[in-house]
Amino acid sequence: MPDPDESLVIAKDLGKRYGDFIALHPLDVNVSSGEFFGVFGPNGAGKSTFIKLLTGQLRPSIGSVEVLGINAARDPQKLKANIGIVPESESPPSYLTPSEFLQFVGKLRGIDDLDNKVEHWMNWFGLEEKRDTMCKDLSKGQRQKVMLASAFIHEPRLLFLDEPFANLDPIYQRKCRQWLLDMVAKGGTIFLCSHVLEMAERMCNRMAIINNGKVLAAGTVKGLKNSESETLEDVFIRLVGHSIGEAERLGDEGVNEEE
Amino acid sequence: MHTPLVGFKAFSATFKVMFIEEFRENLDFAKRRRILLFPLLVALVTMVATIGLQFLVGEGAAQGADSLSDSKNFSWDELRIGLHIPLLLFSLGMGSFAFLGREKVLARTGTKNYVLASPALQPLTNSTAHFTYYMKDLSYYVMLILTPVISGMAIGIILESFTNVSTPLEFSSLPRTWIAMVVTLAQGLAFSFIASSLWLLGGWFSRLTPLFVIGLGTALGLGIVPRQYLLWGLTTQQPNGILIAIPAICASIFLAWAASKLVRDDFEVKVISKREILIPAWNRLKFLGNGSLRLLVAKEAVDLIRSGSLKKMIVSYSVPLIVLLLMAWLVDFAEAPIPINLLSYAPFLGFFGFNFYSWLTALDSPEYMNGLPLSVPQLIRAKVTVYFLATTWISVIFLCLMAWKLDEWAVLPVGLVVMMANSIYIVCLTAFLMGLAPNKAIFDAKIMAWFWLGTVIPLLSLFLLSFTQGDVSFYENWAGQVSEKGLDAEAAVYDEGRVAAGFKGILWVSAGLVVAAIVLMKLLDRKWGRAEFNN
Repeated sequence: MPDPDESLVIAKDLGKRYGDFIALHPLDVNVSSGEFFGVFGPNGAGKSTFIKLLTGQLRPSIGSVEVLGINAARDPQKLKANIGIVPESESPPSYLTPSEFLQFVGKLRGIDDLDNKVEHWMNWFGLEEKRDTMCKDLSKGQRQKVMLASAFIHEPRLLFLDEPFANLDPIYQRKCRQWLLDMVAKGGTIFLCSHVLEMAERMCNRMAIINNGKVLAAGTVKGLKNSESETLEDVFIRLVGHSIGEAERLGDEGVNEEE
Repeated sequence: MHTPLVGFKAFSATFKVMFIEEFRENLDFAKRRRILLFPLLVALVTMVATIGLQFLVGEGAAQGADSLSDSKNFSWDELRIGLHIPLLLFSLGMGSFAFLGREKVLARTGTKNYVLASPALQPLTNSTAHFTYYMKDLSYYVMLILTPVISGMAIGIILESFTNVSTPLEFSSLPRTWIAMVVTLAQGLAFSFIASSLWLLGGWFSRLTPLFVIGLGTALGLGIVPRQYLLWGLTTQQPNGILIAIPAICASIFLAWAASKLVRDDFEVKVISKREILIPAWNRLKFLGNGSLRLLVAKEAVDLIRSGSLKKMIVSYSVPLIVLLLMAWLVDFAEAPIPINLLSYAPFLGFFGFNFYSWLTALDSPEYMNGLPLSVPQLIRAKVTVYFLATTWISVIFLCLMAWKLDEWAVLPVGLVVMMANSIYIVCLTAFLMGLAPNKAIFDAKIMAWFWLGTVIPLLSLFLLSFTQGDVSFYENWAGQVSEKGLDAEAAVYDEGRVAAGFKGILWVSAGLVVAAIVLMKLLDRKWGRAEFNN
């Protein structure tokens, strides 16, 4: 069972600077074992950059990140071996087949019984018939399934998902959602980024709303609402709308980071 | 906790998928049959060259009275240089893996992704991925190019037993030649790899690396650094030099490993605000009219500048030209078996256009253009135009430098015509045959057969015709002769008829190349008119 006192993701005063421009700062997050934590924000808010900082894909300019007790900036390989990452827009290598890619990512982590695990996830995602098809010839949704399978195959304790269901059909959206909820129920932890608020209501224990690289609010879904009648969309517009209006008033110089 | 694979285990897992990826990428462009035919084509060409060796080294004089006398033949040493220098230049051109890796990382969210970009998400270091890429490329080229070359030589020797043809090559020299070529390839890829890694470190490294490369080349050319210290493959091929192969290959692999260690785990994709340059570029291109060509050339120019490739491409375009300049500096014409002159070099300056055009096609994925009212031939024409605008001045400078070094100013105008004609023709031929994917097309046997025929015949014609001009002081004393003798002016030493015929021949071939280039550009619509935008 998960130990709710065990912090799996600790970001302290985290920030990313590009030259003189501060893209993200300050970000303080603490995600405990067994949580389904969601980060929501409008396009360009810094969600993907946040995930990249937490998973060792980017080095922070300010502050520190510790994930699974590993310093993400100092030992990104060890961290990547023990987490699963599903990026928003990255595809599997174009000229490998799905099973070759799963074999590759499994071998890099030294997984036992790899053939059976590859077989299992190929079947789970309905990719059996695409066994010999190169990833570049798969549909967007199928490529997304391969990326999800590559993040699930080593059964990590902690998953980082960035808009994971964007290209999936409703059947696989439901199937994946259920699998993720089961994973959390068994003690797994999920860190999810999205702008689809419905996911927060259906899946997250806790959530944060960010914009312009800052955490505007964080807490339980219920706790963020001012009243019973307020919807999450109302909360989002109240926080982000205010933030955008404030930025406009201050003569925002424009978003200068990726996403 | 999972422990990420490291060392040889990580290398081995990555090598396998990279090799598969390389083969599939080439297969994706050409049909399987054509890829498999490529080594056969290489073997066939080498076989023909092997049989022709007797005429180059003079040992086949007995075969016919027309053979050149031994004093006018190449020595084996010169032939070995002729084998290793082009191979070294090829490997230097293909080995800038640090640039390649950076491009793959930056493009990983695009339509195509590669194993080389995996370290961003997977527990694999950039250093291991890059070193593996070096080893994969080395193995791939050994399999697909060097081994067929040696097989072609072997077939040439075997033919001696069944036919009347004769070759001075011996079976016993083949293993040594193969090993020596592997050494040159490994060394060239490693040198290029470490140069690109140093460049990417930024700061002073970016400024000093090209200077160091040119300095090293010049030191080699001037004999300050003995040839055997830098051309390891050539040294391996010398009598008693075979054992050099072991430390040379180890040193190349060590250099590649060191280069890979310089590649940082940097996956940042900085999106920085840039001032508007598309419209200013478009405004400067009034001479291209108001059609799609002008707009596409402006867009390509923006890509070239924003991607930071312009500097890299100019450096990589200039390096072989510097080597040619060094050759011009070093060749002792009195000792040369053939009268090499400025007109002999001019065609080769145009030939390097292939590399530059390849880079241009790899700058960005053109797939988004499938939804725009544009066709592939329009984009190809724009890339060819950008090539001319970006490189012609470099070639002109180099040809002027060569004219100065060889003291052949009088022939410079003709040299410029030959260089331009070749440059136009080679790039148009490359664009016509390979479209937007020349990097994949190089392993397509059918395309390469046409490319080989289309380049070797005119290049060889111009090269041979240039010998008729011999010592071009003929042109230089012409003015003096005219001032002294008026209409009775003549060159005392040379057969004027031969020189004039050769000169006309050069101009006719050059004119033919320009016409061929125009025809190829016209035929683009027929060949690529219905093609998808894809590179």
